[in-house]
Amino acid sequence: MTLATVELSKSFGGVAALDAATVTFRPGQVNALIGPNGSGKTTFFNCVTGMIRPDSGRVAYQGKDITGTAPHRIARAGMGRTFQLCRVFGRMTALDNVLVAARSGSLVERLRSPRSRDHVERARGWLARMGIDHLEHAEAGAMSWGQQKLLELAGVLMSDPETVLLDEPAGGVNPALIDRIADLVRELNAEGKTFVIVEHNMDLVMSLSDHIVVFDRGRPIAEGPPSVIRSDERVLGAYLGV
Amino acid sequence: MRSDSEQLPSGQLGRLLRVGAVGVGAALLLSFPAMAPNPYYLSAGIVVLSYAVLATSWNFVGGLTGYISLGHGALAGLGGYGTALLVTKAGLPSFVALFGAALLVALLAIPLGFAALRVRGASFVIVSIALVLILLLVFQSWASLTGGSRGLVVLRPFPGLLRPEHHRVFFFLYAALLAAALIAWWLIDRSRFGLGLKAIREDEDKAEALGTPTLSYKLIVFVVSAAFTGLGGGLYALWFGDLDPVFQFSILTGAYMVLMALLGGVRHLFGPLLGALIVGVGLEYFKVEYGSTPLHLVGSGLLLGVVVMFMPDGVIPAVSHAVRRLRGAADSSIREVTAAELAEQRRPAEPEEARR
Repeated sequence: MTLATVELSKSFGGVAALDAATVTFRPGQVNALIGPNGSGKTTFFNCVTGMIRPDSGRVAYQGKDITGTAPHRIARAGMGRTFQLCRVFGRMTALDNVLVAARSGSLVERLRSPRSRDHVERARGWLARMGIDHLEHAEAGAMSWGQQKLLELAGVLMSDPETVLLDEPAGGVNPALIDRIADLVRELNAEGKTFVIVEHNMDLVMSLSDHIVVFDRGRPIAEGPPSVIRSDERVLGAYLGV
Repeated sequence: MRSDSEQLPSGQLGRLLRVGAVGVGAALLLSFPAMAPNPYYLSAGIVVLSYAVLATSWNFVGGLTGYISLGHGALAGLGGYGTALLVTKAGLPSFVALFGAALLVALLAIPLGFAALRVRGASFVIVSIALVLILLLVFQSWASLTGGSRGLVVLRPFPGLLRPEHHRVFFFLYAALLAAALIAWWLIDRSRFGLGLKAIREDEDKAEALGTPTLSYKLIVFVVSAAFTGLGGGLYALWFGDLDPVFQFSILTGAYMVLMALLGGVRHLFGPLLGALIVGVGLEYFKVEYGSTPLHLVGSGLLLGVVVMFMPDGVIPAVSHAVRRLRGAADSSIREVTAAELAEQRRPAEPEEARR
């Protein structure tokens, strides 16, 4: 049930975004991935979820090597993600946005209506859990930023992931909504989902996470519980430049 | 839930109206051969119908996935030449050759799509144009097989029929093919597969991240699109009976498909058909009035510009939007709902949650 990388490297035009990053996340916990801008966090997410093929190194998930596996297979293996700049299907309704993530097996099943009773029920359930079920017929592109963030999360959860990667869930979101998102993460974690969260809001990171990995220049420089990370000199150095 | 119960009656009425409109449209279409004053009108009607078939076939890819292919003319040309060659060289019966050629086009679409659908946006458009140009050169140069620029004559499938009768039969054949393409598009549009395709149109990476096998989805719908396009091209070969690479592998064919589909509205089942009616009738009119001048090209170019600038979603959404505004119905965009209204809407739901 673990997500781990070994010596993961990726360069863009000679600049190393990831530099032999070896990381192991804790299953069943809320993991945070922090670090200064440009330290490779989003590239790390993209490599782990198959969106980008790493130059070298391996990604393992649930004991299997998933390096170079197509993103949709990784998603179906139980790893869901949100994007840094929240991405929803702007010209679909909120309900359809969530229904896209429903699993279908055979080709025949894929020719059935997406609005089958059990799929719609589950999709509505996730929208209700996010508190945006009153907007199910609304076009996603017309929703507010915060609502879109919640909608994106509802979609990811509809795909029934065991591990959820959140890229800046609190980015550009008002404080009340940050609390709501934090509560949701705690609840879902209590229900058994593993989280890996990239976030710049340190109050949120410190209050939410069980285990923190700190990135600098494409590799982890420290890891541990919040209490340890808060006082780690290397972390302070990386953030404050002292 | 309240909004549901409000929508239901108007939804049923709307469905009834739509079914009625489709019925009337089909009846008008099928009565056209009986009403056409002379065989010329009938043949023009066939040309317009063949455009409708091609534009609807194009819309499997263009409308559902958002990939704009200018290369579909090549698939129609391959369907045409495939049918013609299977008749003349392999001696197959006309309609066996037609379906055989469409099958071959569909098979060829697998490697073509596999290569082309890996690039997006403008790159895909350019790759699709390259396909047309390459095939034009091949079919022009390989004269021993294709007849080259001298043309390739195909025997008519019904040698005993007089010209007007021949037109009449092909009008109905094209109508049947159009119906098949429309039904297939409708079935895909309302399926889970179709929802995945539309997710690709909106944001391909996001769709993939949610577990949609995007490449397979695009490839499958491209093959379906190619098969219908090949059938459209093959039927043209059987009807017209004379093929020339310059016309079969023309950038114009693909460009017309794009124009027609965009004009009518790519998100709508009948969008490409409507676009084909408008553009097809316009093209025939220009050809009659101005002969072989390039005025029809200028006209369609201008029309494409106008569509892209003022009606990016096509005529159908533009008209239905205008109708809705005229009616003054509350077009409930989210931004217009006030916080107080939202609170009001949410209130009835809360006691239920509490009970749970």
